[in-house]
Amino acid sequence: MDASAVAGRWLLGGVFLYMGLSKALDPVDFLKLLRQYDLTQSSLLLNSIAAALPWFEVFCGLLLLAGIAVRGTALTLLVMLVPFTGVVFHRALLLQAAQNIPFCAVKFDCGCGTGEEFICRKLLENLLLILLTAWLLVGHGRQWSLRFNLLKSS
Amino acid sequence: MKDNPTQSGAPDRLLAVGRVFLEAVLVAALGAAFAFAANQVSPKSVALTRDYFPTGTPHQVRPVANVAPPPVTGTNPAPISAADFAANFLAAQMKEKGLQLIDGRQALQYFHDPRFQQNKVVFVDARKEEEYQKGHIPEAYEFGPYHPDATVRSVCLQAEQVVVYCNGGDCDDSENSALMLRDVGIANQKLFVYGGGMTEWLANNLPVETGARNSGILLKTNTVSGTNALPNVNK
Repeated sequence: MDASAVAGRWLLGGVFLYMGLSKALDPVDFLKLLRQYDLTQSSLLLNSIAAALPWFEVFCGLLLLAGIAVRGTALTLLVMLVPFTGVVFHRALLLQAAQNIPFCAVKFDCGCGTGEEFICRKLLENLLLILLTAWLLVGHGRQWSLRFNLLKSS
Repeated sequence: MKDNPTQSGAPDRLLAVGRVFLEAVLVAALGAAFAFAANQVSPKSVALTRDYFPTGTPHQVRPVANVAPPPVTGTNPAPISAADFAANFLAAQMKEKGLQLIDGRQALQYFHDPRFQQNKVVFVDARKEEEYQKGHIPEAYEFGPYHPDATVRSVCLQAEQVVVYCNGGDCDDSENSALMLRDVGIANQKLFVYGGGMTEWLANNLPVETGARNSGILLKTNTVSGTNALPNVNK
């Protein structure tokens, strides 16, 4: 059981490392995609998100791969993943209404680092990531960890 | 000293949950510090205080030439072509922002203007470095998002006409760059946005320079006169 959780931890770490790096290589492209969500009018805030989020994902990916502060990292990712999935879903609904097409036919680049994707596939991927993150959050995937709990109990 | 497990179960669980929260806060704080530091040292960093989109509005979908224009109504005297409709829409958007839109024919006129050789007419490429390196309008200055060249400003200040372009179509980098140039002191009346951009330029088999500015490596060198799309241009 724990071996699968470790594989899941590595998978999740790899996914975040990949998605983070793909955005960090061209953060202005990511910034343009972020702008389409119309989240804020503040360019400083939007720039800060575009500057930091890709590297933050890289950081979290590395922690998961190494097995450091796994539960804390999983909680942080969960806090990011859930609202982001909601925002992507909302944008997909807007596009569906604008294009008058079936929901699953909506295809766009959500700024996730994986390019253009059909929305149903994207939501399914995010659901899997959320489940995997929750699995790690409850304490699985301890094997081959450098320091599973950063704050050890005394 | 060890507590009785039956008595200490709930407080222990609470303590464990608290530790996870604290760990998450630490991860978030360290991650944020790492992320901003990495952005600072990255060759492709986002400048936090720069306004990358002076146009202000989110990216708007423009009508393109193959999209049908609005139907002709009873009061509409003459039908309008899809290409004209797209061009008019774009021109209106530019006008709203105080910019002047030019088409391929005008861009080519500027390219062949004798003042072009004296840097009095300059082309500014607002695309990314990789795209610029792959091919740009000969002698165009690079003004990409990561390394806005400081020399571009002084060149544009000296010029009489500045033509800014990107890839055309939905690309709004040329508008944003034109507004950035305006914000650093380039007069509005000098600034022109070439709407068709590099896509149209390439489609018309016009000369393209690869690599750095003035590299002398031209992809197309002798097809200008052969183009059918942009006739009647004085050379």
